[in-house]
Amino acid sequence: MSDTQHNTQGDYLHNPSGLWSWVTTTDHKRIGLMYLFTILLFFFVAGISALIMRTELAHAGPDFLKAQQYNVLFTLHGALMIFLFIVPGIPATLGNFLIPLMIGAKDVAFPRLNLLSYYIYVIGAIIAVIAVIPPVETLSFLKSLGFTGPADTGWTFYAPYSLDTGAAIPWMVFAAFVLGFSSILTGLNFIVTIHKLRAPGMTWDRLPVFIWGSYATAVIQTLATPVVGITLLLVIMERLMGVGIFDAKLGGDPVLYEHMFWFYSHPVVYIMVLPAFGIVGEIIPVFSRKPLFGYKMVCYASLAIAIVGFFVWAHHMFVAGISDFSAIAFSVITFGVAVPTAVKVFNWVSTMYKGSISFTTPMLYAMGFVFLFMVAGTTGIFLATLAVDVFYHDTYFVVAHFHYTIQGGAVIGLMAGLHFWFPKITGKMYNELAGKIGWVLVFAGFNLTFIPQFILGMEGMPRRYFDYLPQFQPMHMLSTVGSFINGFGYTFALLNLFYAAMFSKVKAPANPWNSLSLEWKTASPPITENFAETPIVTEGTYNYGRPVEGLAH
Amino acid sequence: MFNFMPEQASEIASNIDWLNSLILWLSVFFTVAIVGAMVYFAVRYRRRDGVDHETPRIEGSNALEAVWTIVPTVICVFIAYYGVAFYAQMREEKANALEINVWAQKWKWDFEYASGKKTTAEFYVPVNRPVKLIMKSRDVLHSFFLPAMRVKRDVLPSAYNALYFTPIKTGVYQTFCTEYCGMEHSGMLATLHVVSQAEYDRWVNDRSEEIALSRVTPAERGEKLYNQKGCNACHKLDGSSAIAPSFVKLFGRNEQLADGTSVTVDENYLQESILHPNAKIVKGYPPNLMPAFEGQVSDDEIQALEAFIKSLTTAKQEQAAAAPADPAALAGMSPADRGKKLYNEKVCVTCHSLDGSRIVGPSFKGVYGRKQKITTGQEIVADDAYIKESILNSAAKVVEGYPPAMPAYQGQLSDAEVSDIIEFLKTVK
Repeated sequence: MSDTQHNTQGDYLHNPSGLWSWVTTTDHKRIGLMYLFTILLFFFVAGISALIMRTELAHAGPDFLKAQQYNVLFTLHGALMIFLFIVPGIPATLGNFLIPLMIGAKDVAFPRLNLLSYYIYVIGAIIAVIAVIPPVETLSFLKSLGFTGPADTGWTFYAPYSLDTGAAIPWMVFAAFVLGFSSILTGLNFIVTIHKLRAPGMTWDRLPVFIWGSYATAVIQTLATPVVGITLLLVIMERLMGVGIFDAKLGGDPVLYEHMFWFYSHPVVYIMVLPAFGIVGEIIPVFSRKPLFGYKMVCYASLAIAIVGFFVWAHHMFVAGISDFSAIAFSVITFGVAVPTAVKVFNWVSTMYKGSISFTTPMLYAMGFVFLFMVAGTTGIFLATLAVDVFYHDTYFVVAHFHYTIQGGAVIGLMAGLHFWFPKITGKMYNELAGKIGWVLVFAGFNLTFIPQFILGMEGMPRRYFDYLPQFQPMHMLSTVGSFINGFGYTFALLNLFYAAMFSKVKAPANPWNSLSLEWKTASPPITENFAETPIVTEGTYNYGRPVEGLAH
Repeated sequence: MFNFMPEQASEIASNIDWLNSLILWLSVFFTVAIVGAMVYFAVRYRRRDGVDHETPRIEGSNALEAVWTIVPTVICVFIAYYGVAFYAQMREEKANALEINVWAQKWKWDFEYASGKKTTAEFYVPVNRPVKLIMKSRDVLHSFFLPAMRVKRDVLPSAYNALYFTPIKTGVYQTFCTEYCGMEHSGMLATLHVVSQAEYDRWVNDRSEEIALSRVTPAERGEKLYNQKGCNACHKLDGSSAIAPSFVKLFGRNEQLADGTSVTVDENYLQESILHPNAKIVKGYPPNLMPAFEGQVSDDEIQALEAFIKSLTTAKQEQAAAAPADPAALAGMSPADRGKKLYNEKVCVTCHSLDGSRIVGPSFKGVYGRKQKITTGQEIVADDAYIKESILNSAAKVVEGYPPAMPAYQGQLSDAEVSDIIEFLKTVK
């Protein structure tokens, strides 16, 4: 078999063929794609539930929802977006697809474990979906199994409300517990893969920043997720057996729940966003034709964020009744996350200096990301500042801030990555103009949705409110208009990609963007075993441009 | 520009807003500078005609890295310092603080003063005096947020949490619940009235509402409790039964229960449903929604609520009985009798006794012609002119030792009615 035949007939999408070969695949690229379709499904469902909420909130007063339905919707939106979409998010999709390709490996370290992670994820997702079905007569057997109605607690499941409500909290929480296992196994797999399977010459200081970001993420996944697993099991024990841990009535302490929950759920923010940092760090050098400025600092910054991120959880609890000393300590440590984040931003922008910049869709997403993340980061400063956070805590300011980090950061990062690696994944090119239109819609809609929410927060509008006072009306209306543009933008952009994947006739070359990274050295789409022969790495990933005499490091 | 914060009504508010503005302007500056640099680079160094130009391989600069590590660090230390310093001010317990106990419960706020005064959904504090709220929850987590005071604190079922502020401006301020607590979370509002010390003293000592409560019928009292205890949030009186069964025509009705049995709504069923709502849930309604009121309502209050609910079944007959008095019948009464009727109807009875006992205002026993000292130190005689003035413009000449609590009846009583009341007072000896 000659090399060319191998490349055209042996690509991972068609070799081996048949549905069964997909369902039982241990190919990291296929598993990444299966994850991608599954998480996008939940992105869609959770996005629709957000739009229903925004429609209700366009006017003050009850419109077409009841308070309880609204409470279920924001729980659904939060829980699905967090546990089913953005936590698996970039690591399980692009991470799975790219990590072995970028380090020159044939697959991840434990391919079957990788497939198991996916199916554990699917089982968790199915439990979550059943748990949010409203009780109906024809499915009354579900009720006897404890599926007593959709959760109405918010995605945080704060005790003792989650212990009192009639909803199917034990099942919902169990779903999150199962999903946590999937996350742990993925993290473990990536750590071993990055340590053990790098191609000859792929030293740590030549690793692409996406790998560094994924590595830092995997460490958090492995270390933090077990804590939330334990916490959620304790909630189940308390609900079903009456063990008093968090419920004051049983002698428990609800603040303990908050500590345990945020010990995971704060680092999880970095699970979402560190890989996105990595993606932006890959895209900007390629489309600037410049080395990533301060490569080492960017990598160390990822690790610093991952480590410091473990010691800031109680900044979610400044007004919860923790001691003033704890509040002060956690506020000061929280500022420790701001510095490495700022360093990253400076390095991305400096990379563009004296570059040769082309405005492709991935580059536009990456540049949009820099702006959105500046807003996310600087508004984070308000919330880290103790006295100011007392005012902003649990207002719309917080809602807007974390949507800038998670949507503006992680989701925009995912969109950037999907466009950037689309030719590699599918072997086709998408429509560039449609891609740019999608970017404009997403970017404009997103800002129109959440800038008014910052203003609402400054005005003192609390979050998780079904109804609000008339003074908040104008900003709510603007936000609703923005949310529909935002939703339409994502639909448009993703349909453009989907259409190109299915129907485009434009074949992608192996390296359409002229990148120096390893994944572009194999065919598009890659052959099943990634590389015809193990690549040997002789230089750093970002050696763009002409070497300059006398320019120090 | 960018000032969307509510008005500054507490001592620390201006500090918080100053820090907030500082961070805001630093944020705007750095965002514009960095994004500006990015856009400038993007335009200045754009690829022309689809062909890449040669670029220098600049890999980094230790000097620059040091600058943009140190500068943000210094700024962060500066901001963090002020955040901590102002937080310390916010949490400082002042010696002469007015202590108010705050109870949170799905979905209402109760306030208890040292004087014994209790209120729901609104509370009063005097201006310029430090306030300490000692807060606890009766069920799940809540959080008490006073935007104009720039303070907030969670309210726990497991421990007391204290909140401090010193109001510097009189006015009426909105408060919110900011920890999600279930269905009516967004309706869990309260109002803070910051008033002058004199007005506060009058309010906190004014027991007229309580006294009035003791003089009304059980059903009327029940109606008041219905609003105070928050029953009105779910049990509607317009006949709609969306969230919970309406109270209209509820008493005596036969209800189908969720477990398939049925029950007649009588005094015992109502009592059980108030104290232990989950015991017998009416079919079609969710359990665990209504908080249990065990330990929170007295037997008297349950009785009053039951009387109120009963009255909503028998309302029609009652209304017929309470038809307005016939003008002809009134004309046939003596002026003193008409005056007595007004004394009861216009609620003079609430504060002015007929037996010499002191309630809120002076007793009417022997009031006519009595000499008394008023707050200005003057001596007056309670003659026709004084009594008329005191009814219509009650604050004009207040008897010494009494609060200026009486509403003015100007425009609410005709001259003829006032003279009827005076005739009645002449008879009270």
